[in-house]
Amino acid sequence: MEAQRPDFGEFYREVKDECLFAVLVSVGDRDTAQDLVAEAFARAWASWPAVSRHPAPVAWVIRTALNAGVSRWRRRRREVPVPDLALVADRPAAGGASGDCVDPGIMAALLRLPARQRQVVALRLVLDLDTEHTAHVLGIAPGTVQAHLGRAMAALRDDLIPAWQEENKT
Amino acid sequence: MNDNELITVLREQRGTVLMTTPVEQIISRGRAVRARRRVPGVAAAMGTAAVAAVAVSVALPASHPGASHPAAKHPATGPGLHLTAWTVSRQADGSIRVTFRDATDPAGLQRTLRADGVPVSVTFTGHQNPACQPYSSGSSQAYVPFGSKTGPLGGPGFTSDPKDAYSTPDALVIDPSALPSGAGLQIWTSGTPGAADNFQLHVNLVQASPQCTGS
Repeated sequence: MEAQRPDFGEFYREVKDECLFAVLVSVGDRDTAQDLVAEAFARAWASWPAVSRHPAPVAWVIRTALNAGVSRWRRRRREVPVPDLALVADRPAAGGASGDCVDPGIMAALLRLPARQRQVVALRLVLDLDTEHTAHVLGIAPGTVQAHLGRAMAALRDDLIPAWQEENKT
Repeated sequence: MNDNELITVLREQRGTVLMTTPVEQIISRGRAVRARRRVPGVAAAMGTAAVAAVAVSVALPASHPGASHPAAKHPATGPGLHLTAWTVSRQADGSIRVTFRDATDPAGLQRTLRADGVPVSVTFTGHQNPACQPYSSGSSQAYVPFGSKTGPLGGPGFTSDPKDAYSTPDALVIDPSALPSGAGLQIWTSGTPGAADNFQLHVNLVQASPQCTGS
């Protein structure tokens, strides 16, 4: 068991940030996302002999994190808080205490998407999972993944491109 | 800006949010998760290649006709609610779901499943029932670790719980009507109970007989 830890550590270092961003896009709250991802990686460590042989360990982590989020929501019987979009948009682009420097405009546009579309964007575009794995993680049909992705891309184009064009003019 | 450029911009954001939790803290939490699975006498388990695993809390519905008789005495979690070694419940589609927490009381599980119409032999001794013979029909005779997505678990008779396909399977779904004619199930364990690395719960098809499956 001890000999497996270096592999897990390497896996953790390689994918932890993108997993966090994917879950952040899905749940919309930085602290919640970090808690969920940490819990998912802890469970991955506890089952590492199996998870390490999973065809897509990152997908396993994300699925576990999202499931943990659902369980947490059920326990608390209230919605997972989504930050005020205005606050997100007003947040300085560079660095908080954690060193994050996510583009506030992009994050705000992502958070304006419906939850399922955000999850599809997180898995398909952020983590670069294929349609089949994305469908498996979310428990939906591959065609549904494609449909959500198409709608999400259209919404992001409408939301972001005019703003970027305006920025370029100035 | 086209879609590819938009995707590129989105992907560039991946490195802008940093997961600050140290790996040591993750592992520490992982140890707690693992320890929680190893409740006394419990064979919570992860298998080798194909994954065997058990665990997850089970609430025994007292009114259910196929409810199990728990062998292990787990602490009550609240009034009228007891964690049991396993639970047998009939689902709306007629299939039978067995949820495992502990590999104890094989006789009780065998009795309950047989009462629900499943020809089955259950042994938690580390050995298969010597009275059972493999069911000889194509791939159905394959040795199948519990939770595997291959072999008979994905074939006629029983399947792994689809909703848990991406997490650790804890339940077995049996459709008695889909069992091949003359076939029964054998549920057995191997390895060391309580040892997460080499304990496995297995399910395979056997020839139904009074000595093995009771009928």
